[in-house]
Formats: sequence, C-alpha cells, structure tokens
Amino acid sequence: MRCAIRRAIGRGLIPRLILGLAAWLCLQSARAAAPLLDPPPPAAPRLNAEEIAQIVRIDEISIPTPGELLAAVDKTGKLDWAARFRAPIATGFRSRAQMALNLGGLVADGYIAVQAQDAQQVKNIGRDIVALARPLGVHQDLINRGKSVTDFASESQWEPLREELEATQNEAKIALAENKDSKLIELVTIGGWLRGAEALATHVSLQYAPQTAALLRQPGIAHFLNEHLDALPEKLREDAVIRAIRPKLARVEQIVSFGAGQIPTQQDAAELSRLLVDALAEIGRRDVK
Amino acid sequence: MKTALLLAGLLALFANPRPLHAQDNRKTEARRLALELAGAFSNDGFRLRDGHWCETVAAGRPRLVEVNLHAGNLYWFSLASADPSIPVTLTVYDETGRLMEGERLAEPGRAAAAFAPKTSGPYYLKVDTSSPELTTFCLLYSYR
Repeated sequence: MRCAIRRAIGRGLIPRLILGLAAWLCLQSARAAAPLLDPPPPAAPRLNAEEIAQIVRIDEISIPTPGELLAAVDKTGKLDWAARFRAPIATGFRSRAQMALNLGGLVADGYIAVQAQDAQQVKNIGRDIVALARPLGVHQDLINRGKSVTDFASESQWEPLREELEATQNEAKIALAENKDSKLIELVTIGGWLRGAEALATHVSLQYAPQTAALLRQPGIAHFLNEHLDALPEKLREDAVIRAIRPKLARVEQIVSFGAGQIPTQQDAAELSRLLVDALAEIGRRDVK
Repeated sequence: MKTALLLAGLLALFANPRPLHAQDNRKTEARRLALELAGAFSNDGFRLRDGHWCETVAAGRPRLVEVNLHAGNLYWFSLASADPSIPVTLTVYDETGRLMEGERLAEPGRAAAAFAPKTSGPYYLKVDTSSPELTTFCLLYSYR
C-alpha cells in the first residue's frame, strides 16, 4: 500500500489529482454563483409528435376529483342535489376490489351531500366510509378523517368538508399503497368517477340543458380508467365485479367521447345514466355473479 | 489496487454532488414553493386540488402531463422549481396540441398559468426550462 502511494507520488499522480479536484470544485462554485439563465424559448404554437408521445397521465393530477365536476355543474344553474342521493349501500363485502370501488363511490356521495348541504347525510356517509375502509386495512388512517367529517357537518362548514372529503380519498389511496394494495387505488378513483358521472347523467336525462349536457364530455378520464381496468392483474380482472362493469365502462367511454363541438342529446344522457346506474348497482351488490 | 479503489471512491463522491437521497428533499422543496405560489389563488376563492406532479426537466427535454378539465371552472396551474434561480415555463395545450392563451405569471423559479376551458376534456401542460442541468419541479393546480 505504502509502496503504491510512493510510486504514485513519484509519478506526480496525487498532486495532479488534487489539482483536478480543486479545478472541479471551482467550476461547481462558479456555476452556483452564475447569473440567472436566459428564459426558456417562447411557447410553440403546437406540440410536435415527439412531445405528444411523451405525455404522461397520473391519477394524482390527470383525473379530477368528483368535487371539480360538481363545481362545474353548479355553475350551470340551481340543481336539486338532494334528489341525486341514493339509498345507503352495503358495507360487508368479501371482494377487496368491490370494497375499493364502493369506497370511491361513497366519497362521491359525500360530495353530493355537501352540495345539498345535508349535514345528516354527510355524517351517515362518513360513518359508512369508515366501516367500509376497516376490512381494507385503512381504518386507522380514516378514523380521524371520519371524525372531522362529522364535526364539520355538525357545524355546517361546507368548504372544509369538501377539503376533508378529498383528503379522505387521498388517505385511503396512500394507505392502500402502503399496504401493497396499489392496484386498488385506481378502483377507488373509478368508483368515485362513476358515481359523480351518474349523478350528472341522471340530472341531464331528467332536466335537459345543453350547457350541462356538454359536461358529460370526459373522454380522457374514461380512457384512463378503462386502461387501468385492462392492466389489472389477472386475479383482479377476474373478480366478478370487475367482469361485470368492464363492458359497461367500455360503452360509457364511447358515449362520453363525443367531439369537442358537439352536445349529447337527452337520449344519450339517458343511456349513459342507465349504464352508470347499472354499474353502480353491480358494484353495490353482495352477490355479483 | 486498494489505493485505486479508494481514489475512485473519492472521485465518485465528488463527482455526484446531488446524491439520490437528496432527490426527495428537492421534490419537497419544489412542492413547498408551488404551494406557496398556489396560496395566493386560494385567497381568491380557488380550491387547491390535493394532488401534485413532481419531476425533473432540462433544456431540450420538456415534460408534459395530461389534465382533464371541466368547462365552466377556472383553473390556476402553479409550477415551482426546487432551485429558485432556474427559469421555468408552463404552457397549456388543448387535446389537438394547440397552444391555449390565458393569463400567465412568471418569476424566477416559478410560473403560473390561468385557464378557463370552453370545452370539457383533456388538456396538456408543458413544463420547460433553459437550464441544461436536470431541475426538479413540482406542479399543482387550483380551481374555482
């Protein structure tokens, strides 16, 4: 070892190495102290094919929450949100896929109850969310959220309730990821989206207005969610509830993928409503075949 | 041989001034700065979406993400770089890849874009920089 160091010193390698390191460190500090870079080039008027090919889609930012849809619907006029409540769903499922789908649906129910400003309905839904989350192993994470939901509902604090519902959905997804159940995360999203879309489609089918009907256009979301259903592991794909809803969701994607300038008819909305009501009924059944 | 390995190890240590474990810290910092920017919109009644996209970008290698927006809502997209001296830009494109106009804010290390879609559907956000080095950024959005 000593001989090697002596040889290296003899050849002048170590001083050269130290000099090299010093030069490299100087370069780094010069970079750190460099003035601001030029601004990036101005935006191109169109994306090129290479850019379009690298667009990513992620659940956390690409798929809107039910709250965003309901906020848009609210701007189209006064809507009787209480008329969009549905009967309480069962919570004792054996299929984890079904639990995840229903959990998402319940969060969307919560948003609808908040829109209707019905405190008791919000509390009931909060209780169901906690009950449904228990067998998924995310119970502990949601207990505090459930309590907050109840407290805010008691005080009619609607805006914090919206935030709490979004946080509840995210907590559930984080807990699923931590429990190595990440494949169920998108099922929570699917359940929430189906329930939000059903409330909108049913409303449009009953009280048709072109401006509200235009909100049914959601091709990116439906495509993203169908892709995730297709990519599920075989065991999950073979789950009775997944098999039952896949063809319905494929048809739903066709209906909500109308052209940018088009408006769906009342009949389109009615068909969509029927499909979504059926899909939610399958998701809520304990004996899906 | 041992000396050579020791020297190689030292070189590797200096040659990697940003070790992997620091990446999470940079994402956290970028998110903190983006949240700070979005806070201004929350004061205007915008609800912050509880989701984010943290990635890296370099000159000539822009990053793009799809968002699905609802007509009638007004959106503010907030972008921040972990390093406030790195210029970043944020642009919005429709599903055909056409540039969308709207109010824009730009300051060192941060950018924001407002957009009110006339049509519901997918839109694309493009994050770009003039920095040749990989820069960590975080993007989030608010709606009203």
